[in-house]
Amino acid sequence: MENLDRRRFIKLGIFTSAGVLVGSFFAFANTDKKIEVESYDDLLKYDWGYIIDTSRCIGCGSCVRACKMENNVPDNYFRTWVERYEIDKNEKVRVDSPKGAIESFKENNFPAEDIVKAFFVPKLCNHCYDSPCVQVCPVGASYDTPDKVVLIDKEHCVGCGYCVQACPYGCRYIDHEKGVADKCTFCYHRIHKGLAPACVNACPRNARIYGNLKDPDSKIRKMLHQRKYGTLKPDLGTNPKCFYLELDMEIK
Amino acid sequence: MKNKLHIFLFLIVIFSVIIIGIIVGNILKPDSYGEHGHYRYDAVNEIQAQPLINQDIKTCAECHDNIYQLHEKDAHYNVPCVDCHGPCNLHVAFYKGGEAAANISKEQAYVPKEYKLEGCLYCHRKLKAKPSDYPQIIQEDHYKFLHVIVHDTKCIECHSPHEPVFLLTEVRQSRIHPIVYRCTECHDTKPEKSYKEVQGHPAIFECSDCHKAIVDDFNTKPHHNYVECRTCHLYHKENETTGRIYKNGNAKFCLLCHEKKPFKDDKYPPKIEWPSHVGNAEIIIKSNEKICLTCHEDKIHKMNVNFRENPHSKNWITEHREYGRQNLSTCQKCHQMNDCYSCHMKHKPLSHTSDWKTQHPKFAENNKQSCEICHGTNACFSCHKLEMPHPKDWDEKHKDVVAQKAKDFCYRCHNEDFCKQCH
Repeated sequence: MENLDRRRFIKLGIFTSAGVLVGSFFAFANTDKKIEVESYDDLLKYDWGYIIDTSRCIGCGSCVRACKMENNVPDNYFRTWVERYEIDKNEKVRVDSPKGAIESFKENNFPAEDIVKAFFVPKLCNHCYDSPCVQVCPVGASYDTPDKVVLIDKEHCVGCGYCVQACPYGCRYIDHEKGVADKCTFCYHRIHKGLAPACVNACPRNARIYGNLKDPDSKIRKMLHQRKYGTLKPDLGTNPKCFYLELDMEIK
Repeated sequence: MKNKLHIFLFLIVIFSVIIIGIIVGNILKPDSYGEHGHYRYDAVNEIQAQPLINQDIKTCAECHDNIYQLHEKDAHYNVPCVDCHGPCNLHVAFYKGGEAAANISKEQAYVPKEYKLEGCLYCHRKLKAKPSDYPQIIQEDHYKFLHVIVHDTKCIECHSPHEPVFLLTEVRQSRIHPIVYRCTECHDTKPEKSYKEVQGHPAIFECSDCHKAIVDDFNTKPHHNYVECRTCHLYHKENETTGRIYKNGNAKFCLLCHEKKPFKDDKYPPKIEWPSHVGNAEIIIKSNEKICLTCHEDKIHKMNVNFRENPHSKNWITEHREYGRQNLSTCQKCHQMNDCYSCHMKHKPLSHTSDWKTQHPKFAENNKQSCEICHGTNACFSCHKLEMPHPKDWDEKHKDVVAQKAKDFCYRCHNEDFCKQCH
C-alpha cells in the first residue's frame, strides 16, 4: 500500500511536469504582433532633458491645465505643478501651491512690502538617471526607456505604492480609479511625433525647454552651456534630468 | 535500497519544482520582457499610441491664418492658442473630417470665443513672485488709471486678445535696446530724489541720456503729467542686458485711453467718439495706422528726430575711433571692453599695416593710451622688457640699463652704430 502510493506520486509528478513542458512549447510559439513606433536603435539616439527657467515663470498655471487635459490626470493629483516661494524680511519662508496652481495664484501670502524675494518653481518628474522609484518596483512595472525616460507599464503595475514613497520629489501618485501608480511621461506620445510636451507647448513665457541631450546642436544643450543651472536634491545621488536655471538655495 | 529511493524521490520533487517554476514563469512573463532590461519593451511602444489632446499652434494656423498672423506680430506672440481656447482636439478632429469626426457633435467641436477676466488675470495679476519686468496689473489700479467706473468690465472690451497692445512693428523684429531700469525694480516705492542726488548711486540709463531732445520736448507737453515713456514705448526684457522697445503710434493704441466707452468715466482723459471723430475709420485706418499723429503730433513730442544727436550716427564705423579715444568712459556706460575686442580681434585697426612692426614706435610715443585699450598696460613690456617708450630721464638712466643687460639688448631695436651717434 505504502509502495503504491509512492509510485503513484512519482508518476503523477513526472506526468505533470511533462504536461507543463509540452504546454509551454505552445505558449512560446504564440507570439503577439508588436506595435513598434520607433525601433530600439532609433530610441538610443535620444536622451530627453528638460530645463526650467525659474526666473521666467509667472505662475499662470497654463502648464498644469494643459497637462491635466492631455493626460487625463484625476482631480487633486498633478503630474506637474507650480510652487511659489516667498521669503519675507524675517527670513520666514512660505511655500505654497494651491491646487497645484491650476487656477494660478490669487494674492501674496505676506504683505507685499515685507517680501524680499519671491519666485515660482514649476515641478515635474525629474526622470532621474538613477531613479529610486525604478529600483524599488517589485514587478518591473517602472522602467527606464532606452531614451532615458522613466515610465510605468500600467498593465503590470500592481499599485503597491512603493515607488510613490521612494520618489524624493513627490512626483508620483496612485490613480485610484485604475489602481496603478502614475506620473509624468514627458508626454512620451508627443515627443516622438515631433511635438513639444503639453506643458512646454502651453508655456507662454518659454520658461520650460525640452530637448535631446545627445544632440550637440539642440537648444537644450546650448542653454546648458550658456547658463548656470542646478538640480533638485543633488545629494541624494539620483542624477535628475530636469535642470533648473537660477536655482535658489531654498528650492527643495 | 530504501534509503536511496528516498534521495531519488527528493531530487525528482526538487527538479520538477524548478522546471515547473521556470515554465510557469515563462508563461506568465510577457513576451517582450527582458529584451532590453527588466521591463516589458512593448509598453514603450504602447504608450506612444496615447491620443494627442493639446493642439500645436501650427495646426491652428492651417485654418485660422489671419488670426495667426495678427497673433504672431503682437505682444502675445508667445502665448499658444491652447492657453486661452483649451486643447481644441475635438474641434480639430471635427473640422478635419474623416473617420474621427463621425462621433463628434457640432456642440462638442465648438470652441468658446469669450474669455473671462479671471483668465487674463491668471497671467497678469500683480504678484511679488512675478519677474518685475513682466506686465502685471492690480485690477483696481489699472481701472483707476484708465478711469473705468464699471468694475466688472472685461479686458477684451479694450484689448483684443490676439493683438493686446496694437504694436506697429512686429514684435520679433523690433529693435533690441539696452536695458531700461525703473526705480521700482530695486526700490519698493518710487524714491523722491533722483539717483544723481544720491552719493555713490550707480549711474543708470535714463531715456534722456540718449534721446534728450525728445524727452525735453515731451516734458513741455500735457502728456508728461500722466504717463511716462514706457507707457507707450513698451519694453520687454529679453535677457539680463537687453530688451526690445517698441515705437508705438498706432491709432488703436491711443484709443485704449481716449475712446469713449460706456464703462469709462467721461471726464478725463479727453475722449472721442470712434470712428465718427475721423469719419469712416475702416478706410482711413487701413491707409494710415498713425492717423492720430497726423493732427495731434504736437501734443505728444517731436517726431522728426535728428538722429545725429544720438551717439551712433550713420557712418559710425569710421567716426567711433576718434570718439572712443576721447570719451571711452561714455562708451563704457553701455558697452563692455569685450565689445571692442569682438571686432578688433578679428579685424586689426587700419593703422596696423604689414610694416607696423617698424612703424609702431612713432605712434606709441604720442598715443600710448590708445595702444593700451586693446593691448593692455603690460603689452610693451612683454616684448621690450623695458618701460616703453623710453622715460623722459632716459639720457641719465640708460647707462644703468646697458650695464645691466649688455649692449645686445639695445641692438634688438637700434643699429650697432647707434651708440656712436653720441659717444
